[in-house]
Amino acid sequence: MFQKVLIANRGEIALRVIRTLREMSIRSVAVYSDADRASLHVRKADEAAHLGPAPSRESYLNVGRILDAARRHGVDAIHPGYGFLSENAEFAHACGDAGFVFIGPPASAIAAMGSKTAARRIARDGGAPIVPGTEEGLVSSPEGRQAAAEFAGRAGFPVMLKAVAGGGGKGMRRVDRREDLPALFDSASSEALRAFGDGRVYVEKLVENARHIEIQILGDHYGNMVHLGERECSVQRRHQKVIEESPSPLVALCPEMRQRMGEAAVLAARAAGYYNAGTVEFLADNDGNFYFLEMNTRLQVEHPVTELVTGLDLVRLQIEIAAGARLPFTQEQIMLRGVAVECRIYAEDPANNFMPSPGRITQLAEPSGPGVRLDSGVYPGWTVPLDYDPMLSKLIVWADTREHAIERMLRALGEYHVGGIRTNIPLFEIILRDPAFRSGQLHTGYLDALLKRDGLFDPSPAPELAAVAAAAVATHTKPGPRPQAAQTSASLWLSGGREGLLR
Amino acid sequence: MKPVIRIDNEIVSPVSHNSTVEVEPGVYSILVDGASHEVRVEAGQVTVGKRHFDYYVDDPRQWNRSGDSAGGKGRASIVAPMPGKVVRILVAAGDEVAAGQGIVVIEAMKMQNEMKAPRAGRVAAIQARENDSVVAGAVLAVIDPTPVG
Repeated sequence: MFQKVLIANRGEIALRVIRTLREMSIRSVAVYSDADRASLHVRKADEAAHLGPAPSRESYLNVGRILDAARRHGVDAIHPGYGFLSENAEFAHACGDAGFVFIGPPASAIAAMGSKTAARRIARDGGAPIVPGTEEGLVSSPEGRQAAAEFAGRAGFPVMLKAVAGGGGKGMRRVDRREDLPALFDSASSEALRAFGDGRVYVEKLVENARHIEIQILGDHYGNMVHLGERECSVQRRHQKVIEESPSPLVALCPEMRQRMGEAAVLAARAAGYYNAGTVEFLADNDGNFYFLEMNTRLQVEHPVTELVTGLDLVRLQIEIAAGARLPFTQEQIMLRGVAVECRIYAEDPANNFMPSPGRITQLAEPSGPGVRLDSGVYPGWTVPLDYDPMLSKLIVWADTREHAIERMLRALGEYHVGGIRTNIPLFEIILRDPAFRSGQLHTGYLDALLKRDGLFDPSPAPELAAVAAAAVATHTKPGPRPQAAQTSASLWLSGGREGLLR
Repeated sequence: MKPVIRIDNEIVSPVSHNSTVEVEPGVYSILVDGASHEVRVEAGQVTVGKRHFDYYVDDPRQWNRSGDSAGGKGRASIVAPMPGKVVRILVAAGDEVAAGQGIVVIEAMKMQNEMKAPRAGRVAAIQARENDSVVAGAVLAVIDPTPVG
């Protein structure tokens, strides 16, 4: 087993990996940019290495500096987390060349799945259903636009334009009318070029009111591969996931769908020569049809929901597999139990157009109690930097039923207070109380439709609470000492202890 | 004269018959007729349970020691929450504005956002110009409250 592992990431995921490393008695090495010297992952790691200035390309995206840090600290392996370099085949390759084990899939599988059109071919040839679309990526030219228009004419509008090198919703456009196609094609292509350095775009038939359901897979280096059930991630805003849950409310109604999707996911992953943890994303409709969307060749943000329903530690399994271990279970031995739900807590103001709200966290009260897990990267007094994704934490709950999990999540959100900055906690309280969400009627357009409602974030009048608030403000702003409770228990412990010493 | 407490821009009398204890800095446990409330006070905002209110103390004797963004003299500053560009200024110095009225539009992280008046009052100063680049914390406008009658 490894003696020391470097985590090429920051924030909550770096801390998540550090925690498992500590349980495995493996030393952890954090990396940090100038903006993250005081960040929690640096505080909690056994060792820490400075990378460079705040911009990601000079720190968390800088392969040379990360490998230098790995050499300086003498690590055996590198865990990439998610985002940053996690799906960069050249990085995975460079780790191997430098003598470090990359905790993840082979570089060849990352490269194969990195091209969305190649991934679609692999999945189709492996036997997984795909959404009808153009075989090849198209460039922004008269021929490219013509080929896109021909496909859309055959398949029928609406269609989706997607970047071949895509990810994170960049270079994606919905096209409803033939006359809009050329302009949207060019804007998708130029956005893709800017984001990925590759302007190729392909066209897919749009699956209306589709659900986003993904399958977690896990494989070892010896050809053993299993799936760990599904996660439903249909609650999205701007193609970014907001709430994830397992099992999917749809799949829970027709469990044979899980088996079919799981088998399709394993087929697609095998066809790419995959091992370690990965996720195969599908679009699904309410009739039980599903189509391969893409494969994410890394640990996902939302992996904790799978951990809670399977009882497994995916990071531990990733590390063991990377160190050469065999999968410790078969498909038949995997049991799914209960329901897990995750909310991604962001420093943003949902009542003000989701404006990012970086700044200093003045107060922090974190939820706990039965069935609550908080994977957080923040602490009171810490300043949320502007330089990176503003996710603060992931709040995950588990309960025996979906109804109970939702009630538990609302309870936990009620305990969660982040002072000094705005968070999207109020958004979750609205979604989790929405009858459509409660009944599991989800699709990827669900949240956008919900957010169009007027007055969604307008507070209801609460004169009794306002009077209580005024009482607190009056006390808080009055000169002189503020009322403290008589604290006698500490001195009782002290005197009791002293008495014990005298006996 | 007692200080006037405004909660969400309304003058509110503190609830009576309560027991109030500061349990953590800025965190109060308040018991009202047997009901238990946890109240957090910080930087112009007060939270009762999950309900957020903006507050402001208007004190003629000026011993308000909140030192919060509401300001000791009742001025409210509209501050850029992050680096960005001033896209539009919607009011002029001397204008009477209502609570929640848009004052300045800034663009940051490719999104335009309207900065609103935290309460009613008169615009004392506009300290930014259109197309200015501003740093986080830059004061964009200052609003004096409408005097309490």
